[in-house]
Amino acid sequence: MSASEAHAPVLSTHQDESTFTYAKVKKGEVSRKLPVLQGEEYLDVVKSYYSVNELAKFLAQKDDSGNRKYRRVTLQFPDSLICDSAAIVTELQKQLGLDVDATNPELKPEIEQASSVCCQNDGSLNYCSKSESNGSSCCTLRTTKNPDSAERQRLWILADTSYSSCCVDEVAAEHVKSDFVVHFGDACLNPVSSLPTAYVFGMPQIDTQLLVSAFKERYPLADYCNSVIVLMADAPHTHHLQGLKDELTEYKIVVADLVAGENMHFLGYTPTLDKVSLNTLNRVFVGVELGDDSVLAEYDLFHITTPDAPRLLQLSTKFQSVSTCRDGFVSQGPFPNLMRRYRYMHMARAAGTVGILVNTLSLSNTKTLIQKIGERIKAAGKRHYVFVVGKPNVAKLANFDAVDLWCVLGCDHQGIILDEYNEYFKPIVTPYELLLAIGDEFQWTGKWVTEFEKVLEDMRIEEEENKPEEKQETDAQESDEEPEFDPVTGRYVSSARPLRRLQHLQISHEAEGNDQEEPQAGGALVKKLGGTVILRDTVSTAAVHLQNREWKGLGSDWTDQDSTEAALVEEGTSGIARGYQFDNEDAFKNQT
Amino acid sequence: MDKVTNVRNISVIAHVDHGKSTLTDSLVQKAGIISAAKAGDARFMDTRKDEQERGITIKSTAISLYAGFDDEDVKEIKQKTEGNDFLINLIDSPGHVDFSSEVTAALRVTDGALVVVDCVEGVCVQTETVLRQALQERIKPVVIINKVDRALLELQVTKEDLYQSFSRTVESVNVIISTYSEKTLGDAQVFPERGTVAFGSGLHGWAFTVRQFAIRYSKKFGVDRAKMAERLWGDSFFNPKTKKWTNKDKDADGKPLERAFNMFVLDPIFRLFTSIMNFKKDEIPTLLEKLEINLKADEKELEGKALLKVVMRKFLPAADAMLEMIVIHLPSPVTAQAYRAETLYEGPSDDEHCQAIRNCDPKADLMLYVSKMVPTSDKGRFYAFGRVFAGTVKSGQKVRIQGPNYQVGKKEDLFLKSIQRTVLMMGRSVEQIDDCPAGNIVGLVGIDQFLLKSGTITTSETAHNLKVMKFSVSPVVQVAVEVKNANDLPKLVEGLKRLSKSDPCVLTSINESGEHIVAATGELHLEICLNDLQNDHAGIPLKISPPVVSYRETVTAESSMVALSKSPNKHNRIYVKAQPLDEEVSLDIEAGVVDARDDFKARARILADKHGWDVTDARKIWCFGPDGNGPNVVVDQTKAVQYLNEIKDSVVAAFQWATKEGPIFGENVRSVRINILDVTLHADAIHRGGGQIIPTMRRVTYASMLLAEPAIQEPVFLVEIQCPENAIGGIYSVLNRKRGQVISEEQRPGTPLFTVKAYLPVNESFGFSGELRQSTGGQAFPQLIFDHWAVMGGDPTDPTSKPGAIVRAKRERTGQKPDVPGYEEYYDKL
Repeated sequence: MSASEAHAPVLSTHQDESTFTYAKVKKGEVSRKLPVLQGEEYLDVVKSYYSVNELAKFLAQKDDSGNRKYRRVTLQFPDSLICDSAAIVTELQKQLGLDVDATNPELKPEIEQASSVCCQNDGSLNYCSKSESNGSSCCTLRTTKNPDSAERQRLWILADTSYSSCCVDEVAAEHVKSDFVVHFGDACLNPVSSLPTAYVFGMPQIDTQLLVSAFKERYPLADYCNSVIVLMADAPHTHHLQGLKDELTEYKIVVADLVAGENMHFLGYTPTLDKVSLNTLNRVFVGVELGDDSVLAEYDLFHITTPDAPRLLQLSTKFQSVSTCRDGFVSQGPFPNLMRRYRYMHMARAAGTVGILVNTLSLSNTKTLIQKIGERIKAAGKRHYVFVVGKPNVAKLANFDAVDLWCVLGCDHQGIILDEYNEYFKPIVTPYELLLAIGDEFQWTGKWVTEFEKVLEDMRIEEEENKPEEKQETDAQESDEEPEFDPVTGRYVSSARPLRRLQHLQISHEAEGNDQEEPQAGGALVKKLGGTVILRDTVSTAAVHLQNREWKGLGSDWTDQDSTEAALVEEGTSGIARGYQFDNEDAFKNQT
Repeated sequence: MDKVTNVRNISVIAHVDHGKSTLTDSLVQKAGIISAAKAGDARFMDTRKDEQERGITIKSTAISLYAGFDDEDVKEIKQKTEGNDFLINLIDSPGHVDFSSEVTAALRVTDGALVVVDCVEGVCVQTETVLRQALQERIKPVVIINKVDRALLELQVTKEDLYQSFSRTVESVNVIISTYSEKTLGDAQVFPERGTVAFGSGLHGWAFTVRQFAIRYSKKFGVDRAKMAERLWGDSFFNPKTKKWTNKDKDADGKPLERAFNMFVLDPIFRLFTSIMNFKKDEIPTLLEKLEINLKADEKELEGKALLKVVMRKFLPAADAMLEMIVIHLPSPVTAQAYRAETLYEGPSDDEHCQAIRNCDPKADLMLYVSKMVPTSDKGRFYAFGRVFAGTVKSGQKVRIQGPNYQVGKKEDLFLKSIQRTVLMMGRSVEQIDDCPAGNIVGLVGIDQFLLKSGTITTSETAHNLKVMKFSVSPVVQVAVEVKNANDLPKLVEGLKRLSKSDPCVLTSINESGEHIVAATGELHLEICLNDLQNDHAGIPLKISPPVVSYRETVTAESSMVALSKSPNKHNRIYVKAQPLDEEVSLDIEAGVVDARDDFKARARILADKHGWDVTDARKIWCFGPDGNGPNVVVDQTKAVQYLNEIKDSVVAAFQWATKEGPIFGENVRSVRINILDVTLHADAIHRGGGQIIPTMRRVTYASMLLAEPAIQEPVFLVEIQCPENAIGGIYSVLNRKRGQVISEEQRPGTPLFTVKAYLPVNESFGFSGELRQSTGGQAFPQLIFDHWAVMGGDPTDPTSKPGAIVRAKRERTGQKPDVPGYEEYYDKL
């Protein structure tokens, strides 16, 4: 590029503004769970489906001082149910005696402009900031039952959940300092850190006779009269299980019922409170004795609806066989393959840089786990970075090509990325798999543990066992750490434990230090950065990666042969990439 | 050892069962390591139990031998020598085609090769393969024609027939040599009259060269040794009446004359054979006296074959003939490294390290190539076996260990370590030494954990790697292994690591469904590897799947239209077309002739001159893939695209990914050239980052391949079968059943044996040997060697075709959607 005259970069292909029009958001078809009805009829259906009356009663509870117990209530909807949110809120207001401040002129537009950055209601300082990354919208409905502001109860709608819609979105609730979350739809029931929560699953209808016949077809009585079959469903369908069991008296049936944890309330469904039965997978197995869940390996599982892939994988590792039933069709696989995870586990062993991908902020123990995993990765001689990218996708993760492996912390229903179709550039593992991999000797248990508590407990046990040995390892070795054999590729990997190779890298570091004394020619910064791998006394695998790249940033492909004339500094584009200043101006021009 | 000019490093190479190990025994016996009686059937070099049991060599084994020569002989050595003592480092290599990689590893560390050819079977497929390999490594050959006793005893040939058979064999060896030999090696052809061909019997322990007889007769005739030798081979006749030499086979009267070779060389041998085997007791003593053979009292009692053995061994000891050839005609390290240096060294041929190799300088920086790992008695530990090319290696020396991916200035695959001990390999045992100068073969203790199969060891920071070996065989037969008890998995992984170390060619991996895969060159190789894995390396019982073949994905035409993919944010577009790469180009890439690590200008020259590429295209090869060196390329054909450099790393990364797991069924891609025609990039750096480009480049590669008549390639074996005429019918019927394709059938002159050559898909080869034995009554034994990749006819996207069925089966097994996706899946409309 000649520098003598300043001009805008020329692109090879002709580009007009149509090239850079905003990408169309793909319309996701969200099918309504409820029939499209009008007026009162619709309201009735909504009321019964979401147990609105019960919810209203629950929210109307008063504390000792006679005020409403929960004052700032957030209603969290998954995308599939958001269509019913308005009706529910209206109904709740009516029943709770809250009415919409008719004088609020901004209310209506706000609901429409769901993606506005913040919304402020009339003078009552009801301020809600929205986190940009997840685009969650929250609309406040300031309501006045009692003119006394201290007793006001308020409702917010939370939509477009940050991470996985089955979990309670604590962060979004936190934005409005909510003290109570009502979660609608299917839920994973994983424990959340602090907020009290009520769950409204909804009451989907299902043809029990169809289920019974599908069940009998799958498990002919003659073959299965002696084996125990577990009935399980996602949370909304669980209320059918008891009825189904009653239809199948000739079988040995165990119902996996929902179980409420601390601070959890179920509305519209009352689980059998059974403290003496096995409690695992966020379900209570009525009639199975309390104890180790390995007993499940002898049972067959009949699951109504098809769970998400991570959950399915987990179920298939626990039970002898898994059959899923959706709309009367029984499927016995193919399910996600645990042995694929075995391969990823070995890849984790050979990885030098691990990206800890945080895909949840609300699950309890998340922070402890991030910190613990970080420690373990470091102890294993690997480098780690922590990433929060909002909802992860292929493009976002591929942007960090210095990362050899991702470790995803997320909800076991929707938050874990299984990458079944091999779309992701780098493998993704769970914390449990990572821990299996990075010990001095790898282990493989054939289990798939996703609960953070269990992983932490495993870690603690392991640490206790290993404590006495630690000191021996600190002996300074004359020679380098041995390379790791990677069974996936059948090769030796020298970069599997970059931190342990500090010693021999340091030699070159010192040598580089000497170079510094000589004054270097122009471009020293780039060269310097390209040459060193030690940043702040620790190996930076990112710097190593940069060294290996062909293109190392602006000016790195500049050679002396190029014109040496300097160019004037120009003003570039301003604004954010989603819409630069000139884009907006162009749009304005086109309109006029 | 310190006198490098008096060292000879040689490997013994041949077709299977032509008698390498047996001949080597004679040499070992000469050095006094095994007794004379045992030589011939001790198979000293076969150190493993299964080698002894099966009677074949599996691993190459090294031994160092000492030989003394008298002054007369030393004079004939045409290269620099000091004194009369010689050290011979000899490596006995396996002859079975499945173990060709062992031969490659042996050849790398040696300078000369003793090629053994069966006098009856002649030059076979493996003889050709190993000879070709030797010549490509610039290894000088000498030939010994073995099993002459068979010709004499079993076939009862006449002298002239035997001569003709000898000369035909020599001729066919020379044809191979002249085809593959390089100019720099000089004239590598072999000639009996120059002493580079010997004849003998390993089993009986005797052998001779024409030169030996020339020495005997030179005094009698008063002629110079060399001249005499020339007269004793070829069309040279002696007229006993006129006592004149002539080159006509008739005398003045038209009476036939006997060939000098037959008369002077074969005649005494034939006479000994007939008199001893026909029990003509009275003739024997006079004959022995004439030939100056003294027997001990107890030996005189012997009869028949036993007597023949003793007599022949005294008359013409095999070791003498071989040593003579080796010492006089094979190069010393000093001689050989002068012309081998540039083919050995990856770096520039004028840098100090290459110079040091050329001069075989023991005082320079150490340059050592580890060519293989030899298991020690200590389980899981190995000797690193290799050759010092420059400098001197010492015990306790601190060295840099450079793995195959090391590049100067980078840290990858580089380790610093002290060598614990240096040893000499002596067959079954080792002998410790303090140091070892350039030109010798050595074993190193204490560095095995840093190298998987091979590597370079040096003391200099600026040294490049010594070139990585390329094998003529390819691991195309694979099985999945599974442990019976999940707790044994760590043991299995450790076992696989040891297996990978102990064999130069075996590959282990984990496939997409998490199964451990062991890939080997053939059924026998696989069997040996699995045996070792089960009994030795892992030591646990295993479940082994039936063998399967690995396939390749390719294209057979240019993309029918330009493939376009947009990035996830729709702001970047890549336009490419796929086209097939010429098979010759792929082969050159696989053989390392066109190497990703070469200078791009030199590479472009080869592609332009040899393969007719456009020079601009050839210079703009962005990368090879998969693994950065595979036979697929990306060529940049864009014109003036801004920011193009920025996305190169992402394109390279994506291409490695896409060629590793192709679009059809996730197999490696082969012989595909992707031309990037145009690229549209967003003006803002964050919107053209790896996240946008990597998935897009992968998609567009897939789309372009699916638009270019995709096909799958299967590996094909070359089968060579030697059998009597009546078995040919059976062979044909088996080959027909197995999709085999006969390429030649010829009778070996002078024998009733026929040689049938055919191509056989590897997929059909399982159980082939068994079926062949059955239908020919055990008369035919095939040799199968990987030959090439062949495109399978039929559309792989159509599940009713044969390739389609293979594709679908694999897709289902690995949990992909059963149908191959259409290009629309990866193609974006404008």
